[in-house]
Amino acid sequence: MTDPIVLLQILWTGTVTAASLVLLTVAFSLTQKVTGLWNFAQAGFMGVAFYTMLFVLNDLALPLWVALAAGAALTAGIAVFTEAFGLDTLRARRSGNLTFFIFTLISAELIIYVLTLLFGTEPQTLFPSIMSPIHIVGGVAISDWDLTAVGITVVMLTLLSLFLNRTKEGQFLVAVADNAKLAELYGISAQRAYRVTAIIAAIFITAAMYLVGARAGVTPNSPMELILSAVIGTLLGGMGRVFMGGLATVILALLQSYSVLVIASRWQNLLLYGFLFITILLFPRGMHLPRLRTRRAPAPEPSV
Amino acid sequence: MEYILTILVMISIFVILSASYNLVIGYGGLATVAHPIFYALGAYTTGLLSVHTDLWPPLCLLAGGLVAVVASVLLAASALRVSGDYLLIASLGFQLGLLQVIRNFEFTGGPGGLSGIPGTITGAARTPAYLLICGGLAVLTVAFVAWIVRGPYGRAITAMRDEELAFSTLGRNAMSMKIAIFAIGCGIAGISGGLYAYYFQYVSPEQFDVLQSAALLTMVVLGGMGTSMGPVVGAAILLAVPQAITFLELPPNIMAPMQGIIFTTLVLAFMFLRPAGLVGGAGRGKLPAALAGHGTEAP
Repeated sequence: MTDPIVLLQILWTGTVTAASLVLLTVAFSLTQKVTGLWNFAQAGFMGVAFYTMLFVLNDLALPLWVALAAGAALTAGIAVFTEAFGLDTLRARRSGNLTFFIFTLISAELIIYVLTLLFGTEPQTLFPSIMSPIHIVGGVAISDWDLTAVGITVVMLTLLSLFLNRTKEGQFLVAVADNAKLAELYGISAQRAYRVTAIIAAIFITAAMYLVGARAGVTPNSPMELILSAVIGTLLGGMGRVFMGGLATVILALLQSYSVLVIASRWQNLLLYGFLFITILLFPRGMHLPRLRTRRAPAPEPSV
Repeated sequence: MEYILTILVMISIFVILSASYNLVIGYGGLATVAHPIFYALGAYTTGLLSVHTDLWPPLCLLAGGLVAVVASVLLAASALRVSGDYLLIASLGFQLGLLQVIRNFEFTGGPGGLSGIPGTITGAARTPAYLLICGGLAVLTVAFVAWIVRGPYGRAITAMRDEELAFSTLGRNAMSMKIAIFAIGCGIAGISGGLYAYYFQYVSPEQFDVLQSAALLTMVVLGGMGTSMGPVVGAAILLAVPQAITFLELPPNIMAPMQGIIFTTLVLAFMFLRPAGLVGGAGRGKLPAALAGHGTEAP
């Protein structure tokens, strides 16, 4: 019988590990929802965000907030450039899914090769040390970094929810996601919605890569693995259900974390790919939680 | 000279591979990206049989093709129920999962790869002999694919690809045809993997990952999807052009990414300048089915 403290520790570590993946999944899922595309170029954007922050922090020795701002700005710039000069052109040509798939994958590869040329293939972290002070709460080790990761994720998801539900620009995105042609008839620019989505995704990607790079070594190829988690989370959460995608990513991360109790850690990735395959075949529209039924108050008796 | 002959052997192997992929994706309209895993299964099966048995090399090659066929039928029977983006991603999951299995087993050499595969042909004539074998098989493969698609079965494949509902309404079994095309294409990919293993005497999981899928897809699209000669032109250009900078004698840490940059830039340039490929027509009206249309398909 496994010690409950160990189980709790795995629960906490798995949840914290999922924080950066949740942000990546939300970026990927939001893009898929609004544009209808599986944008694999986001793997390249992840590399741009990380290496920009690394350059600003290590080579220019500037403060963290400058690194974050520079990372988000350059990533957003490249994402909008890709939208404007690549995806828009393909949309205008009414290209098929395969063309979009090739374009986004090859764009990601091009960025990865450029980053490899500039920064090499050695794993690098954003800061010289990846350790942070640890507190023991009820026998569970919680580090300052853990709290930062969870805090950033919760704040960003709340802000995104407010943006989508409470602002006009956010509702334009939802309208374009529902029916781009109909939205345009009402004077909403689909092109603008796509670019706003690219900027939001870039901000989420930068935040995620800050969390990843502060805790582990990153190579130019690392984002290719990260984007697969985002794809699986998006599929499992259900197409167009951005926040459910995030939740699905947490569940996946927990399953992977708990799997070390029964299988060797080297098989963890296989679990992920297995989920990807099975999800598509059995739940192509995502997993739907059963709706809770509320008992309705009986209708008043008609008076005679 | 040896270097140039080696590049030609590589081109021949990739012509076989891309022609078989063209049958699946270009003619069959089955948008999968898992083709490199069947190439890998062929390479590993041939390599393992050569290392551990004294089986006649052509039989090892056929065994590699057979394993690829069995795996492809397993994938097709389950994954071909979905289409479009869903099939692309399901096939990606299948490929990465199997690669992880290859990486984790010790008998396959693990992440370090399988080495010590016997060369079968030795001496100064080794590379020219391999070029003759691989080149001959490349010509045969291209001719075989052209023969399939130009005959009555080919017309049925086109009908199934373009109008699956009408095809099924006529009493034809679209699923069995899809599985057959997939199995033929993947079986040929397995044999090309065996040729690769025999020539280079070493295989590792990294050679069959997502980047390989993108490269292969690019060869077919760049050359001209759904055309007989397209994969030949695509494989030749995409393997030969990045080699041009080899003569600059740059250090390996610069050479490899530079070749990658040339490769991807070429793909992006051709994608916008010649969307129907070099062999296909340049106009929108001549885009093959897999590249035309827009929007996420339902599963």
